[in-house]
Amino acid sequence: MAVFTLLSDNIFYIEVIKLGIIYAIFVMSWDILSGYTHEINFGFAFFIGGAGYLSGILNSFFSFSPYLAVPLAAFAAGVSGILIGYLTLRLKGPYFSMATLAFASVLFKLSFIFYRVTGGEEGISGLGVFTDSPTGDFFVAWGIMVAVYFILSLYARSKHGIILKAIRADEDGTQSAGINTAYYKIEAFALSGFMAGIGGGVFAHSQMHIGPTMLSGHISIIVVLLAMIGGMGSIVGPLLAAIGLSILNESLRVVEEYRIVIYMGILILLIYVAPDGLLNLKVIKNSRVLSFIFLGDRRST
Amino acid sequence: MEILIIGAVRGALYSLIAIGFVLVFSVGGILNLAHGTYYMLGAYLTFIFYTMVFNGGGTSCLVLSAVLSVLSVAIFACLIYYAVLRPHIESFVYVMVMTLALALFVGEVMSLLFGVSGTSVPSFVEGSIRIGGVKIINQQLILIPIAGLILPGLWYFLKKTKMGQSIDAVAQERTGAILMGVSVETATIVTSALSAGLAALAGALIAPVSSVVPDMWLFPLIKAFAIAILGGMGSLVGSVVASFVIGYAEVLSSFLISEQLTELVALVVIVLVLILKPSGIMGYKIK
Amino acid sequence: MSLLEVVNLTKRFGGLVALERISFEVQRGEILGIIGPNGAGKTTLFNCITGFLQYDSGSVILDGHDIAHDKPYQIVNRGLTRTWQLVKPFFGMRVMEAMMVPAYSRRASSRGLSKKENEQNIVKILEDMGLGDKIWMEVDSLNQGELRLLDISRALATYPEVLLLDEPFSGLSHNEIENISNVIRSVNTRGLTLVIIEHRLRELMRLVQKVIVINFGQKIAEGTPQEIVQEPKVIEAYLGGRRQKFGLA
Repeated sequence: MAVFTLLSDNIFYIEVIKLGIIYAIFVMSWDILSGYTHEINFGFAFFIGGAGYLSGILNSFFSFSPYLAVPLAAFAAGVSGILIGYLTLRLKGPYFSMATLAFASVLFKLSFIFYRVTGGEEGISGLGVFTDSPTGDFFVAWGIMVAVYFILSLYARSKHGIILKAIRADEDGTQSAGINTAYYKIEAFALSGFMAGIGGGVFAHSQMHIGPTMLSGHISIIVVLLAMIGGMGSIVGPLLAAIGLSILNESLRVVEEYRIVIYMGILILLIYVAPDGLLNLKVIKNSRVLSFIFLGDRRST
Repeated sequence: MEILIIGAVRGALYSLIAIGFVLVFSVGGILNLAHGTYYMLGAYLTFIFYTMVFNGGGTSCLVLSAVLSVLSVAIFACLIYYAVLRPHIESFVYVMVMTLALALFVGEVMSLLFGVSGTSVPSFVEGSIRIGGVKIINQQLILIPIAGLILPGLWYFLKKTKMGQSIDAVAQERTGAILMGVSVETATIVTSALSAGLAALAGALIAPVSSVVPDMWLFPLIKAFAIAILGGMGSLVGSVVASFVIGYAEVLSSFLISEQLTELVALVVIVLVLILKPSGIMGYKIK
Repeated sequence: MSLLEVVNLTKRFGGLVALERISFEVQRGEILGIIGPNGAGKTTLFNCITGFLQYDSGSVILDGHDIAHDKPYQIVNRGLTRTWQLVKPFFGMRVMEAMMVPAYSRRASSRGLSKKENEQNIVKILEDMGLGDKIWMEVDSLNQGELRLLDISRALATYPEVLLLDEPFSGLSHNEIENISNVIRSVNTRGLTLVIIEHRLRELMRLVQKVIVINFGQKIAEGTPQEIVQEPKVIEAYLGGRRQKFGLA
């Protein structure tokens, strides 16, 4: 699957695809929870920006190396995933979504209140990098993404994924099968947060800067849109969507002024046209070959 | 004293915004996360009409601009309902995500057109008044009587007029209303337009004294939600009461603790309510 | 000592008393029937026993343990499983996948079965229930009757000691009811204790050894099927709302 051996000399392309890869990490992490339980997390910026800032702070104020700061920040994100997962345990549908949005907004506001540490509007700059070259950094990001992909895919195909799908279908029914649903939900939340934290940390250090956009509703909703366009609950769909659409986003830089507007417009259009995601289009579901490649679907009869 | 009045102003403002939000949810089952956008557009469109159509012609033109702005937003809401929401309205997830995405989109458009620092709108009512030894800006003050007129007006509409009653019926007991021949579709559209208009009005009125910036849609939305869950998703009276509660809570916390924390009040409310009473103070079931 | 004991169970919803001092015992290996008019509180009783509803007073004792504070999944892991009146199927999954869920419960996984053995057990359960040919189909494609069979299969896959069936026959054809009755008899022979809520009295009476009757949240009668159908209070409770044939044929 991971056939992205882009060996381009052009720095621009490397940066673009690297960004796409990092977004893929965000989106896959989102998918493992919300894609499988169908409880839409609108506050993913909490983990992305939160870990990004934490890693940045560890790096710039305490001189931690990125190789140490990022895992620590991701760990913190994972722990907050446990906390938030626990607090939102009994919430469903819109209440869950708004609660997650609220948590992210709180962190967003706090980053301005504590501007002395977080740099307020401007964020923190001059963060350390992973390697000495952009290509090196690219491979680090790529390697991490592949690892994340495999870990999440295995998780999704394991009993954890099946239980999450069952919870999505019917939480009471899952309980009456003897499953501690609370545990699995919180576990998925923690994993989702941790992976997002990795992504956030990698982002911060590859851009050498972290700013409040990564804590804003903007990034939260883009992650949701990308995941939905790719197809919730498939891991690979969001991955492809993230990379593909990020490349699109960057290639729109020719019309920089209108870029964000056009990009968002395209995303909205795509959701409108394929609300279940591109991967779930009838075209793919009906073809056994495509279905197997993309959805890992084995049909034994 | 100042707290009393400012709190009332806030409460009035929030009630105009929140009541539409709650109404649309009760009637259409739609959690319209673009509601804050209506508020924002109310402000921006007033500016647009005033500067571009009337070329800044004085207070009456200003008022006219506001009226036009409110109407446009109402129409916009209907368009959104038809074009975007109706095709996939059964999917709750779709509605939430789509309206939020639209909200962000419109915000970006505004950012494109007018920049991140936004614009400003002149006041409808100039000057200020001294009440009880405290100086209050008139533009803010008029929110109270306006809300005082509109809210009872809305109540009258819902309880006494035919269209209003059918809307009320759908909100309270949807299946029963359908069986009685009420068109849920019509009710939903009218409600959408109405709620959008109210939010836009709030935006237009507050524009002169508040910052008109591209991200001014997010926090009113969050506050509207906080008010909704505090006051009960199906209860209009509850929403009004909750609006004032939150309004006063914000003002109090800004006086007693710190100004920066006011924005957090609504968030804290949401988090606390949802965590302590997840089955909610809600009047409504989610299907 | 009885396997399941319900003592003075009381549940109020605001001012309404849904269950009032309900008491009964179920012995190991017994099949108990619970009948009563609609709205009498039978499903509420199940919900309280299985941990889905908090009750106001009384106790539920399973094999000597007071399960008052246990969560539903913990009660299942202690050996008490239920099925649902309104089936709760796992839409969006395949039948085999859905059946793997109970296999992941602590109770099932502590049996130390290999993955292959688990799968074999699941296939056996599904075949016994008549769903053998549906193993790889999507749950969404099953009809109402099949969904009910799946729900019961799911319950059996938790290797329960006591199985609570909530209206297992509703929505089923005569053949399907016959099929399930046979499964019930056979699992009972192998040691499973059952409590069954049903409205299809004729079919129920053929299965159970003891019946309790609930009306307006109170237990109004208890006895063998023959005793119950002749009990005046029971007849009166039913004639108020439903017509039923009380024969045992």
